[in-house]
Amino acid sequence: MAVSGVLSQRTHVRRKAPRAFLRRLFRRQKPRLRLETGGDLLVHLNCLLFVHRLAEESRMNAFENKDGVIKKEHVLAAAKVILKKSRG
Amino acid sequence: MADTYNSDSEPTTRTLLRRVLDTADTRTPRRRRSARIGVQKARLEMPLSSPTKMNVSRRSQRARSIERLARVQTSGHLDEQTPRTLLKNILLTAPESSIMMPEPVVKPVPTPQVVQSSRRKSSQGSLELQLPELEPPTTLALGLLAPGRRKQRLRLSAFQQGVDQGLPLSQEPHGNANASSLTSSLNLTFATPLQPQSVQRPGLARRPPTRRAVDVGAFLQDLRDTSLVSPGDSLRTPVATLPTDTVLEDTQPFSQPLVGRSPSVYHSLPCLSHTEAEDAERAVSHRTQSSGPKLQNYNPGKQAQLLARKAKNVDAIAMSFPNKSSAISGEDGVDLLQDGIDEEAEERMEENLSVSEVMDTTGTQGSVRTENSKGYREMTEAVETNEPKGSSEDEDISDRRASPELASNTTQSPQARRPQFLEPAPPSSTAVLSSEPLSTRLPPRARAPGSRPRQDPHKTGLSHYVKFFSFCAKMPMEKKAVEMVEKCLDRYFQHLCDDLEAFAAHAGRKTVRPEDLELLMRRQGLVNDQVSLRVLVERHLPLEYRQLLIPCAFSGNSVFPAQ
Repeated sequence: MAVSGVLSQRTHVRRKAPRAFLRRLFRRQKPRLRLETGGDLLVHLNCLLFVHRLAEESRMNAFENKDGVIKKEHVLAAAKVILKKSRG
Repeated sequence: MADTYNSDSEPTTRTLLRRVLDTADTRTPRRRRSARIGVQKARLEMPLSSPTKMNVSRRSQRARSIERLARVQTSGHLDEQTPRTLLKNILLTAPESSIMMPEPVVKPVPTPQVVQSSRRKSSQGSLELQLPELEPPTTLALGLLAPGRRKQRLRLSAFQQGVDQGLPLSQEPHGNANASSLTSSLNLTFATPLQPQSVQRPGLARRPPTRRAVDVGAFLQDLRDTSLVSPGDSLRTPVATLPTDTVLEDTQPFSQPLVGRSPSVYHSLPCLSHTEAEDAERAVSHRTQSSGPKLQNYNPGKQAQLLARKAKNVDAIAMSFPNKSSAISGEDGVDLLQDGIDEEAEERMEENLSVSEVMDTTGTQGSVRTENSKGYREMTEAVETNEPKGSSEDEDISDRRASPELASNTTQSPQARRPQFLEPAPPSSTAVLSSEPLSTRLPPRARAPGSRPRQDPHKTGLSHYVKFFSFCAKMPMEKKAVEMVEKCLDRYFQHLCDDLEAFAAHAGRKTVRPEDLELLMRRQGLVNDQVSLRVLVERHLPLEYRQLLIPCAFSGNSVFPAQ
C-alpha cells in the first residue's frame, strides 16, 4: 500500500509483557487497590486476549467490506462488539 | 631456422615447446620474452596458426642480416646449457599475462637493423633471461622497456579493479616504477605548467578545505577559475578520496602515459594499438584522480614538502625537455619503434632511478601526509553523505565549509547540550539542518539525547498492544485505526480496573488476587469449562511468565509458585 497513512503488517512482536506499565496503570486507576504478584501478568494475558479478539473482529469487518486495509470504521465496529463481550 | 637448429643441435630437445622456442627466437628478436612467450602460448593452444604466417613474412625480410650474428653468438652460448633448463627458466620467469594483444601490432614494424641488434641480445637472453647483459645499449633499452611495459599493463588492470571496487591496492610490488613515475609526473607538472593545470583541475575539488588555507592560494585559485568540473570526475572523486586510495594514487605510475602523451605528440606513432590508446586514456583518467589528491596532500604544505618539491623541480630542470619526453615515452613502452631514442631512453632510465630515490623519500613524506589527512577525510566522508556533491560542484563551498564546520560544531555543541536541560530536540535538529546542510554529521548526535523525552509513557505502553494488534490482524492498517485501537484499549483498561475493584470489594479484600482475574476472564467468556486459565497462560505467555503463574514441582520436593 503506497498510502502514507498505512502501517504495514508486523511480522514480529515482543512477547515480553510491559509489567511496569500495567502496574502503573492499575495504580493510577485504582490507587487504593493493590495487585498481587502475578496479577499484572494475568492482566497482560487478559489484555492480549482482548486485543486478539479485537484484531480478529476488525479483520473480519475489513474482509466483509472487501477492504485490504483495516480502517478506523472497522476497528470501531469491532470495538463495539468486543468491548461489550469483555465486560466483566 | 637452420642456424638455430645447428646451434641447439643437442638431440635431447625434442619437445614441441623447445622447437617453438627456437622458432620464436628467430622470429621475434626484439622483445624476446614477451613475444616468444606469446608465440609459445599460441603454438600450444592453436598450433601453427597465425604466428607462422608472421614468421614467414618476417623471415624473408630479416633472414640475411640476422643469420650472421645469430650464428656467432647463439652457437657460443646455447651449447653450454641444456635447452630444457632454458625452457624451464623461460617458463618460470615469464609472466603469465597475455601479451597477445600488443604483439601483432609491434611485430611488423621493426626494421632489419633493429632486428640485428636485438637479435644478438635475444639469443643471449634466451640463455640468461633473468639477467640481461648491459653491454649492448640498444638491447638493454629494449629489454628494460618490454617488461616494464608489461608490468604496467598488469598494474593498470589491477588498479582499475581496485578503483572499481573501491578497495585499496597493494602498493609494495610497484616499488621503483612508482617512484620513477612519480618523479616523471611531478617533473612534468612543475616543469610544464600549462598542460598539467588542465589535467589537475578535477582533483582540486576533492581537496579538504582545511588544508587549502595553508596551500599556495593564488596558484590554486587560478586553477579553479579555469577549471570545468565534469560530472564523471565528480563521480570519481569519492573513490579517490578514500584514504588508502589517495596514498595509492600518489605513488601510482599511471600518470606516465598521459605525461608521455603531451610531449609524445611528436612521436605519435601511426601504429599505436588500441590497447595502448586505452591505456593512455585510462592513464589520463587516473591521472586526473591522482593529480588531485596529490595536490590535496601537498596542500597541507609543510616546509619540508616544499623543499622536496624544489628538489623535484631541480631534477626536472636538469633533464632537457626532449630527453624527458623520450624517457617518459620509453617508460611507457610506447616508442618501441623509435630506435634512435633508445639510448637516450636508457640514460633516462638511469636518471629516473637516481631521481626515484629522491622521490622515494619525498613520496614517503607524502604518504605520511596523506595518512594525516586520512583522519580528516574519514571523518568528513563518514558522516557527510553529500560530501562528494559539494566537493565536486564547487570548491568555494569547500572553502566555506571549512569555517562553517567549525562554526557549526560550536553552534551545535550548545544545541546538543540544550535538549538535556530543555527538551526541544526537533527544533534544534531542524535549526542545525537549515543553518548548515553540510554538517549533517552532528545532528544525529544532537537528536539522540533530544529524542529521549518521548510522548506519554502511557502511550508507549499502549503501543505494545497496538503492535500486537497489527500482528494479530495480519493486515496493514491505517494510522487512524491505530488511534482507534488505543482508544479502545483505554476504555478496556478502565473497564478492567473497575471490574477488578468490584470483584475485590465483593470478596472483602483490597488486593486483587488471581482468582479475581480468573473470574473476570470466565465472565468474559475466555475461560470456560473446556479452556482453563492455565491453558490460556500456556498458550499465550512465554515460558518465563508461565513459570511464574503455573505452579510446578522442582527438585528438592518444592513447588515454585507456592500454592
